[in-house]
Amino acid sequence: MQILNKNKLKAALNKLAETADVFVPAARGENSGFYSWKTFDQEKDELMLEALNVYLPPKNVLFPQTERMYSFQEEGSGVVIKESFEDSSPTVIFGARACDVAAIDCFDDVFLTRGYEDTFYKSRRDNTTIIANACYQPGPNCFCASMGVNPTDPATADIIIRDTGEDYVWEARTEKGTALTQKIADLLENKEVKIPELQAFSKNVEYDGVAAKLKGMFEHPIWDKLSEACQTCGICTYVCPSCYCFDIQVKSFGEEGYRFRCYDSCMYREYSQMAGGHNPREDAKERFRNRFLHKLEFFQERYGKPLCVGCGRCIVACPAGISITEIIKEIKEA
Amino acid sequence: MHQCNCENPLLPTIVEVVDIKDETSDVKSFYVKSEEGVPFNVMPGQLAMVSLIPVGEGMFSVSWQEEQEYLQFAIKRVGLMTDELHKIEVGQKIGVRGPYGNGFPVEDCQGKDMLFIAGGIGLAPLRSFIKYCFKHREDYGKIQILYGSRSYDDLCFKDELFEKWPQEKDTEVYVTIDNAEEGWDGHVGFVPSYLEELNPNPAGKIAVTCGPPIMIKFVLQALEKMGYSDEQVITTLEMRMKCGIGKCGRCNIGSQYICLDGPVFNLAQLRELPPEW
Repeated sequence: MQILNKNKLKAALNKLAETADVFVPAARGENSGFYSWKTFDQEKDELMLEALNVYLPPKNVLFPQTERMYSFQEEGSGVVIKESFEDSSPTVIFGARACDVAAIDCFDDVFLTRGYEDTFYKSRRDNTTIIANACYQPGPNCFCASMGVNPTDPATADIIIRDTGEDYVWEARTEKGTALTQKIADLLENKEVKIPELQAFSKNVEYDGVAAKLKGMFEHPIWDKLSEACQTCGICTYVCPSCYCFDIQVKSFGEEGYRFRCYDSCMYREYSQMAGGHNPREDAKERFRNRFLHKLEFFQERYGKPLCVGCGRCIVACPAGISITEIIKEIKEA
Repeated sequence: MHQCNCENPLLPTIVEVVDIKDETSDVKSFYVKSEEGVPFNVMPGQLAMVSLIPVGEGMFSVSWQEEQEYLQFAIKRVGLMTDELHKIEVGQKIGVRGPYGNGFPVEDCQGKDMLFIAGGIGLAPLRSFIKYCFKHREDYGKIQILYGSRSYDDLCFKDELFEKWPQEKDTEVYVTIDNAEEGWDGHVGFVPSYLEELNPNPAGKIAVTCGPPIMIKFVLQALEKMGYSDEQVITTLEMRMKCGIGKCGRCNIGSQYICLDGPVFNLAQLRELPPEW
């Protein structure tokens, strides 16, 4: 099998970064997430290839928090669209975990199917190669296997690396992956190494049957109880690798400007507030319920899988201590 | 059906506002035209995103497409973007993208008697179906239109309501206003109670309704009481929308996106969804 010795990791990242923007899991100051290798500070930043999980998912690589869509110019009563900003620059996500790859699969379902392709997303997606880092030692908040994700075999990744201690086993799975592997071929060796075994999860939850059960629970009093602690801050939606809701807004300066989109959160009142005053999800409970039903019932109905990949980030981030695994358990028991 | 005429479905086409007509004191009709005529073809009940480019975008029902001549949008002034839209003048260039959504089931309704029930600006989306029926008059049976508003001034499309539509073959138009006012000798009262008074027989009929949520609620109750089945009742829904293509998330009711799977549903379909409509 092909392996990359860990001593050659930085050389490999440097090599990949010659032809693509490479995003790596790293700690920077108090935060951690997927940051560009170009901006990686060798003294202050720390690579976090062992972490499960870094605080922020890699979703910003394919779906930036704020993204310009097109610019315009006014001319009297006229207006012209000047430029559409479709980003096709070569990009690599290095060290995405199986949960994050599964979340990108959900993004592909949303942005690339059901009648329309989202051009901005597609352009980035087509030009991004995903190198997944298989998991063998689940973290304290990991529960991906409960949500149908295989931590050791992220099926749709272009390349899978497996941490054996001293080396990474390097396996290209797609044409994109093979092409990228060729760029670092001289850093790889052939060697037989032992692949680790998956250790037990400390967090488990029984998702089977939840979507079907929720279909009859829209008016259940459990939502009052579950939502009571929620402050609708929306941090769960920002750290979630599979939350994709966005807003479209405009920035105008004088006679020119641009339209952009940015992350939005279903936890906010304005999300569904209509101009005439009506809001179908006026109360915190209604918004909370919609978020969890979307994750556990609606997405399942529409795309055949839950919109939760078990990464545990929302459990870590929630200031109110709300846990989706506890919610699933309460639904099961209700 | 879900096809956009541009390569990037989120990019608007620039069109010119060629005419603006006051419908009421807070509703204006905007007639828009592209260099080729219409920017895209629309079926009755479909939606389009209208943008005053430097200000904002809003989703509206297309109230009529006149051949390859123009698209008409009847738009009520209710918020930031529509306030600005009501200030523009003929000749202004604006953006449109679409068409979005499923539209009314015009073919499934062929051979049926049609009962249209609208309140306020809710007539705007229904009007595209009403005019479609008149255009294909032989495909539909008797046409009854019941329309109400708060006052005489708030009635949209007055020339059609009082002049044109009553002249159409086998057509009845019933108009009501909420409260009596000087000069009005027509019916006074709310739409749902007028509907109960008229008591139109459900046999062979499809009822199509749109209006304020409270009106829809009572209209649906009245129709049920008169014996209309859930499959005979159609409505068109409204939610806040941003993308129009089922991606941005906010217009969901259950697993359905109003911009993509709707906005038109029959009552049997709606009863399958959470009661957020």
